[in-house]
Amino acid sequence: MSARVVEAGQRHIREINDELQKAAAEGQEVVVTNTLSRHNLGIGLPKGAHVRFEGSVGYYCAGLNDGAVIEVERNAGWGLAEGMASGHVTVGGYAGMSAGAAMTGGTIHVKGDSGPRCGVAMKGGNIIVEGKIGYQSGFMAHSGKIIALGGAGHSCADALWEGEVWVAGEVESLGVDVNVVEPTAEEVAEVDSILEPLGLVDSSRNWRKMISGQRLWYFESRDANAWLMI
Amino acid sequence: MADDLNDTYTYPFDMPSEEAVKFSDGAIAGKPAGVPSSYAEGGSTRWTPEAISEVHALAQLGRYQVRGYNTFNKRMPTFDDLTFVPATMTRLPLEGYRESCDTTTVLGGGRGLVEKPVELKIPIYIASMSFGALSANAKASLGYGASKVGTMTCTGEGGMLEEEREASQTLLYQMSPARYRIDLDHIRRADALEIVVGQGAKPGTGGLLLGMKVSERISEMRTLPVGVDQRSTIRHPDFLGADDLAVKVEELRIATNYQVPIFLKMGATRPRYDVAIAAKAGVDVVVVDGAEGGTGASPELLLNHTGIPTMSSIRAAREALDECGMTGKVSLVAAGGIRSGVDAAKCLALGADAVMIGNGAMIALGCNSPRYYEDFARLGTAPGACHHCHTGLCPVGIATQDPELEARMDPHAGAERIARYLTAMTMEITALAKACGKSSVHNLEVEDLRAMSFEASAFTGVKMAGIDRAFDW
Ligand code: SF4
Repeated sequence: MSARVVEAGQRHIREINDELQKAAAEGQEVVVTNTLSRHNLGIGLPKGAHVRFEGSVGYYCAGLNDGAVIEVERNAGWGLAEGMASGHVTVGGYAGMSAGAAMTGGTIHVKGDSGPRCGVAMKGGNIIVEGKIGYQSGFMAHSGKIIALGGAGHSCADALWEGEVWVAGEVESLGVDVNVVEPTAEEVAEVDSILEPLGLVDSSRNWRKMISGQRLWYFESRDANAWLMI
Repeated sequence: MADDLNDTYTYPFDMPSEEAVKFSDGAIAGKPAGVPSSYAEGGSTRWTPEAISEVHALAQLGRYQVRGYNTFNKRMPTFDDLTFVPATMTRLPLEGYRESCDTTTVLGGGRGLVEKPVELKIPIYIASMSFGALSANAKASLGYGASKVGTMTCTGEGGMLEEEREASQTLLYQMSPARYRIDLDHIRRADALEIVVGQGAKPGTGGLLLGMKVSERISEMRTLPVGVDQRSTIRHPDFLGADDLAVKVEELRIATNYQVPIFLKMGATRPRYDVAIAAKAGVDVVVVDGAEGGTGASPELLLNHTGIPTMSSIRAAREALDECGMTGKVSLVAAGGIRSGVDAAKCLALGADAVMIGNGAMIALGCNSPRYYEDFARLGTAPGACHHCHTGLCPVGIATQDPELEARMDPHAGAERIARYLTAMTMEITALAKACGKSSVHNLEVEDLRAMSFEASAFTGVKMAGIDRAFDW
């Protein structure tokens, strides 16, 4: 079955998204043309949906994704696949700020660089960036992995919960409360198993695995007796 | 010079004795005249006993103090500074015991953009208080109680609690900056969404949940390690300014298929501008939470020293909406320190379309009720004075995640108390509205009020009682 073509252009964003939902319900693959870097393309698409955006997209493309496979030919704006629960999102070029913000599952694969705060507040899933991740990536990531193959900007892995940031290449500076740890062979194998389906395994990489130093985790409750009476 | 004065005159009698000059004739020993009470009691208005113990506390702890409840700042105005001026000769009252007064409240339908605006039977709903800050039993009670009287509850920032979804006929789902477990499924099961940019108790600061309340279940719902002190972000992860917010609002409309309204909740700081910007960003309802609003835990300094009073924020917010032509298109909800139907009626008269109650609802559930004295004493407090929600050791089972304490909160009795409290509040509102000659509570207006203090008049633009003019700049 050949893909259905949906033209974005200047049409109302609701109409475009309705057509994507309809195609998903009918099990139809879709190619979206003339995307004009529009915001909010492909919001909340279900499992079984398969959408390819020609050109570039604006903010929140694949936002709240619920299982769809989504490809962006060129670049994506802020908040790519924010809040995604499951699915697979591929960006051929660069991703803007906050790719994968607060996502709870699924995979984001960015072939170029990603902007600042990649994986901010993420609660699960994996983000793989072939290039460099921007400053403060992984900020307060609760869970899941951010894997950067081309280095990281300043303040990397700032204030993590239990998320992990893996970087091959240079890290400009670490954020607050970061522990850089030597990954075990098993852990590297686990990351490789994420990279494998993307054809990105390279055993010569020198990984830096960043996790929380846990100093920011406890603020008050450990000296509860001291303040209980106040 | 004063010293010279003694050289210019000599008494025509002998100098009196020093003892006589010092009132020694009959003065009570130990209470000499001329020694002010401050000699024993002190009287510094700067260094009050409170201020001194605060310094001692800071000097011991090396950090600020955290507590729950709401502001202790004594300078906050109260709604009691305003009074209603019911219909007399210029207006006709309605029969309080016989004629009806409509209380139906519709929120979020003004732009005509969503299929299902929130429709409430009363102009009051239950404020966003998270499962985490509150126990599951407390959340369920709020849900059932609100449902019984046809109104709404809000999830708060901790995600959607199944017990609450089941209990609440109308449930607002909150998206805080931390976005704890936000997913499409929950978004689509909500009757309204709320983007939080701040709260009245501590504007400019994210949520705070201390480790004692981060139980297994909370940790699972918020994707956090068990027992950590959760200090949430205040900036949203994927938008910064108002232009981005407008795109975000559109995303949420698409995600909900243009079915439910989108609320935006803010702490009251500069409502005159903030509300206009929120309306411009395209939300359906703006919630302005005044500085008297409550919280489960906050640095105390923020509770006491940030934000502006609820009464002042309502007028400013209403003026902002009027000015940008958004009255009628965007609904306005007021919150923060509302205790009764009387307070709520004053908020409606000042310009709110509905009000939200948090602390009041908790008190109706049994917060600070005179029971479990020993447990209150163990917290260093007593029923009526408790503000220890942050400890997770709530003696009445409301602000806790401890199963034994939670069991003290009977969810069925709690639901009924909430229903009765809301019913009583609504009766109070209609009683005042009818006296003012209004057949709908939404017809209450600023002209129905007079201020009894200059501050209240200046805060609200309400006319001063007596001179019948607003105290204006
Ligand atoms: S009784 Fe419970 S809910 Fe009320 S102030 Fe104390 S700890 Fe908080």
